[in-house]
Amino acid sequence: MSATTRTGLWCVALVLGAAIIAFPLYVNGYYLALGISILYFTILATAWAMFSGPTRYISLATVAFFGIGAYTAAVLGETWPWPAVLLAAAAIGALVAGITGLSTLRLSGIYFVIFSFGLAELIRQLVIWYEVNIHKSVGRYLFSAVTQDVLYWQLLGLAALVFLTGFLLGRSRYGLALRAIGADETAASHSGIDATRIKLAIFVVSAVFMSVTGAVMAPRWTYIDPSIAFNPMISFQVVIMALLGGAGSLFGPVLGVIPLVLLFEVLTATLPNHFSIVLGAIFVMIVMLLPRGVIGLIGPVQRKAPASDAVAAKPSTREQSGQLLRVDDVGKSFGGLRAVDQVSFEVTRGQIVGIIGPNGSGKTTLLNMLSGALVPSGGSIRFGGVMIGGVKPHRIARLGLARTFQLVRVMADLTVAENVAAAALFRSAAAGGGETTVELLDLVGLGKMQDIPAGDLTYIDQKRLELARALALSPQLVLLDEWLAGLNPSELETGIALIAKLRDRGTTIIMVEHVMDAIRALCSHCIVMNAGSVIARGAPDAVLSDPTVITAYLGEADA
Amino acid sequence: MISANRRTLLRIMSLVAAAAALGSFTFAAEAQEKIRIGYAISKTGPYAGGASITTLPNYELWVKDVNAAGGIKVGDKKLPIEVVEYDDRSSSEEAVKAIERLANQDKVDFILSPWGTGLNLAVGPTLNRLGYPHLAVTSVTDKAPELAKRWSNATFWLGTSAQISEALAGLLGKLKSEGKIGGNIAMVSVADQFGIELSAAGREAFKKAGFTLAYDKTYPMGSQDLQPLLNDAIAAKPDAFIAFSYPPDTIALTEQAQLLKFNPKIFYVGVGTAFPLYKGKFAANSDGVMGIGGWNADSPQLKDYLARHKAATGKEPDRWASSITYASLQVLQQAIEKVGKLDRAAVAAEIRSGTFDTVIGKVKLKDGLLQEVWSVGQWQNGEFYALAPTSLPGARAPVVPKPQWQ
Amino acid sequence: MLLFDIALPGLVLGGMYALIALGLTLQYGVARIMNLSYGESLVAAAFGALSLYTGLGLSPLMALLLAVPCAVLINWLLYRFLLERLMRRGKDRGAQEIDSILVTFGVLFVIQGIMLIAFGGQYYSYSYLSIPVVVLGTTLAVNRLVALLFAAAIGIAVYLALTRTRVGTAVRAVAVDANAARLVGIDVAAMSGLTFAFGGGLVAIGGVLISMFLTFNASMGVIFTMKALVVVIMGGVGNVLGALVAGLMLGVVETAVARLVDPGLTLAATYALFLGVLLIKPTGLFGRAAS
Repeated sequence: MSATTRTGLWCVALVLGAAIIAFPLYVNGYYLALGISILYFTILATAWAMFSGPTRYISLATVAFFGIGAYTAAVLGETWPWPAVLLAAAAIGALVAGITGLSTLRLSGIYFVIFSFGLAELIRQLVIWYEVNIHKSVGRYLFSAVTQDVLYWQLLGLAALVFLTGFLLGRSRYGLALRAIGADETAASHSGIDATRIKLAIFVVSAVFMSVTGAVMAPRWTYIDPSIAFNPMISFQVVIMALLGGAGSLFGPVLGVIPLVLLFEVLTATLPNHFSIVLGAIFVMIVMLLPRGVIGLIGPVQRKAPASDAVAAKPSTREQSGQLLRVDDVGKSFGGLRAVDQVSFEVTRGQIVGIIGPNGSGKTTLLNMLSGALVPSGGSIRFGGVMIGGVKPHRIARLGLARTFQLVRVMADLTVAENVAAAALFRSAAAGGGETTVELLDLVGLGKMQDIPAGDLTYIDQKRLELARALALSPQLVLLDEWLAGLNPSELETGIALIAKLRDRGTTIIMVEHVMDAIRALCSHCIVMNAGSVIARGAPDAVLSDPTVITAYLGEADA
Repeated sequence: MISANRRTLLRIMSLVAAAAALGSFTFAAEAQEKIRIGYAISKTGPYAGGASITTLPNYELWVKDVNAAGGIKVGDKKLPIEVVEYDDRSSSEEAVKAIERLANQDKVDFILSPWGTGLNLAVGPTLNRLGYPHLAVTSVTDKAPELAKRWSNATFWLGTSAQISEALAGLLGKLKSEGKIGGNIAMVSVADQFGIELSAAGREAFKKAGFTLAYDKTYPMGSQDLQPLLNDAIAAKPDAFIAFSYPPDTIALTEQAQLLKFNPKIFYVGVGTAFPLYKGKFAANSDGVMGIGGWNADSPQLKDYLARHKAATGKEPDRWASSITYASLQVLQQAIEKVGKLDRAAVAAEIRSGTFDTVIGKVKLKDGLLQEVWSVGQWQNGEFYALAPTSLPGARAPVVPKPQWQ
Repeated sequence: MLLFDIALPGLVLGGMYALIALGLTLQYGVARIMNLSYGESLVAAAFGALSLYTGLGLSPLMALLLAVPCAVLINWLLYRFLLERLMRRGKDRGAQEIDSILVTFGVLFVIQGIMLIAFGGQYYSYSYLSIPVVVLGTTLAVNRLVALLFAAAIGIAVYLALTRTRVGTAVRAVAVDANAARLVGIDVAAMSGLTFAFGGGLVAIGGVLISMFLTFNASMGVIFTMKALVVVIMGGVGNVLGALVAGLMLGVVETAVARLVDPGLTLAATYALFLGVLLIKPTGLFGRAAS
């Protein structure tokens, strides 16, 4: 783009910005009302997409927060100064979002959808009950001198704020973390992302915007009752608008809001009696023809990953010898089944330990306990002197224990580079700096694929990416769960060489593996499991010729 | 990112510009050949049920009647009515926006009000600011006198909640002193503003009239089974059963009362009792049921109105707010004719101060409120006669006790 | 006796909730279409029954014979020409869900618009089988009792069909994992279409039966959609027996709260129960843990 077009565009943007700000000064009441509609849905839809876009938690609780804000304004509006009212609405919205978020954000998918709806209805019923029995009147009257102009500017300010927040969030590590959670929450947790806290924080931020919008809008209607404040249609409209525009990007929702508000407007005016049918038909057509929302028409929006790439690589200062992991009598039962029974072992720094055994012998369950995915039923796990049994996965990851998954888990919607950057977001300062994203990708051989969505990689490349993501945590210990499975002979060779290289860099590794050549080539120590227990341990060659081990793999020989 | 965002922003801007262009197909103001009258009414959403029985048919009937007579006489010319109508989708925000649109885009001469307390209050400040007369017929609120004071353009037509409850208590008190009923009342009410205000006013009025409230509960809007409520009410052995309920609940309560063979001496339910639907569904069983509203069915004007309403819309009007809605429109018409020009402020003032001849008889508002409002009606031989306030002319004697359900 | 006075009307009310929800269990739980126009279809069926009853004097129970095949056909066409394309287009279940929410939101308006033109916005109600019957000392309405019996019979029949027949097994396989089902030779599109259409038939049954005792208008659909969703989710998505039990539970709780606590809290209590169940069992009463 040349400098002149650049300046030109800035000028146009400035003029339009000024036009938007000065809008109430040159239009009549109707256009102003239309502007108000667009603004208030823009705020709600953008705030909604801030949380629901990346996480894909479709929330129908918009109106719960909107209604809370409206009610706050109705109750306090005539006695408190207006800014205080808005602050109160924000605070109450945040409080309710915090409490409900804590209890609900562990639900996922459709359960969350309906739960959020139930939440809105429950709040509405409780407000009604309170008003009937305590306040003895359900409707609230709010007489205020707020004119359309003032309302418009308040909403415009709020809209600017919501866009600014969204923009900053998108650039911060929390934005990427949230997208990582949306793409694969398990993988995100094991990359050191505290999924619960981040989801909660952003849920609260989004709810605050909704509450304040409710408070700003309330005086316009003079009269607030629960069916006005908690009208579920608002939630539905917001979801529809945001999804139609494209909830995945900052400006997507507004692209759904504007056409829909205008469409509603044109149709109510021109066809008041056939409004529903025509609207419905048009809507169906839009959905069929615009699979990626309106924003899809514009083309993919380039995102800039947060600046964590810039972490300087510095030499690791940690100890290079001694005991790193100690597992004592760890067990795990599922119902009556003891998947892992009293397993004990130690791992010294710099070692590669292999865990082998037939399918179903408890190897992955053991790894899941080490990485925090499962809480042990008994025993203790000590990692670098810290007890980590039952500790949340993201904390374990931040301590420097990384893992890959047996069934490969990449964050499919994120690019290759973002996958790695996501894991580097919250790595602890104590773990020391690591390589940059680029270096890690070069290390695993994905250097040229940085900007490809991870979901488009081949199976093998996804495995490489998983490893790079694990390494981005600057781990002291990496758990590889059948990382070499499914590779062809030449890939296997590269893979083994790669793991050897990691060991030479000082990374400790536990690998669950069926590829015995790799075990022989890499491991100094080997643990054999069968039916949940350790049946042999020692150097690979010795262990693999142990008759008990052979029996475990092949069954009793001609008994 | 910057460049993509700017591109996006540009698209948004162009859409906004398109929006601005959108309203430009408005009509140029012609020389006054017609009176443009606009309204936004709930054709969809939760308020559609009420609007399409009480308000919309009367707007249509009135326009038809006026235009059949050549129009509204302004000065020495008769101007026919041209209608602009929108659907407010039962949303306060849409209702406000529609008013702005009617006033600023369509530049209508007069605006008719939406249906319901919530929407009427939502559009109140806007109509006041724009200076349009506001005939807030279908809003029942105790704040009505205060609102009428605040908004000099607004008028209220269905009385206050207190008026309704007091008239009911007055009637019941009279029956009690005549020894026709005992002193036990069971009262249920829907948990929204309407039910709460009426029951609160009722509670006081009944106590003053010497009644005991043996059962007094609210239920949430949207309850789908009221039998438990009714069972407890029955257990209280009331002489009078009072329900301040919405139409679906009114129907359900009546139906379940019949199933449970619950025959109190007074069975008062409503809103909805005055609907033709009620008579249609319960036929002979409606006899003796009381409810909000009622009209002086023997008056020739109302008989004529009933016939015209049936002919024009294919259905009967409800016996509470329908005729008042129509009367309010007649008042508007006569006020315009008296003022003789389309001067909205003068018309609004005239509506408040003048005396008018309507289907419900002579109308003279006091402080912006219609004073003579029927609060209690009763189905008697297929017609919903007004019983109270007993002081109003045309009040009919109640049939007590209510005949047993058949 | 108070116990029966609470339990029986509660079950009858719950039967209605279950009846409303059965179709959605199939459409949403099994065919994975989050059908926002569900309630409108239900109301449309109620209007159909009303027209047949007032116009032709056809009893609602006879109307079922006409309404159900019509509804199955309409829903099948809807699936075939609208939803199937979306299902094929969606990359994963999340995308499919979003698309189905959006498109059925449009369908909602179309159905509602047709009803508004045909019937206007006002309330409708008629009486059929509105006669008392005394069961264990408690008076119940026959029409509501019929709805309960239908709900129980359909719930159990569908449950058996899903668990005991080949087609049922195939349908469940599609519900659990469409891709895996495809691998073992199940025609996923046909099965989903069938389930969706059959769910539509159940909606029609629900609509026709509730029209016997509820007052309705063209704008009321969303109330039923929501009630049905709550019941379906609470019972565990895709579990027909779960929906039946959840519906009955909600009915009994609502009645008990009305009688014992405060009728004003009935709806709050049902939502609290619903949220409570989800908090303890995030996949519903009978739901399996998500993998």
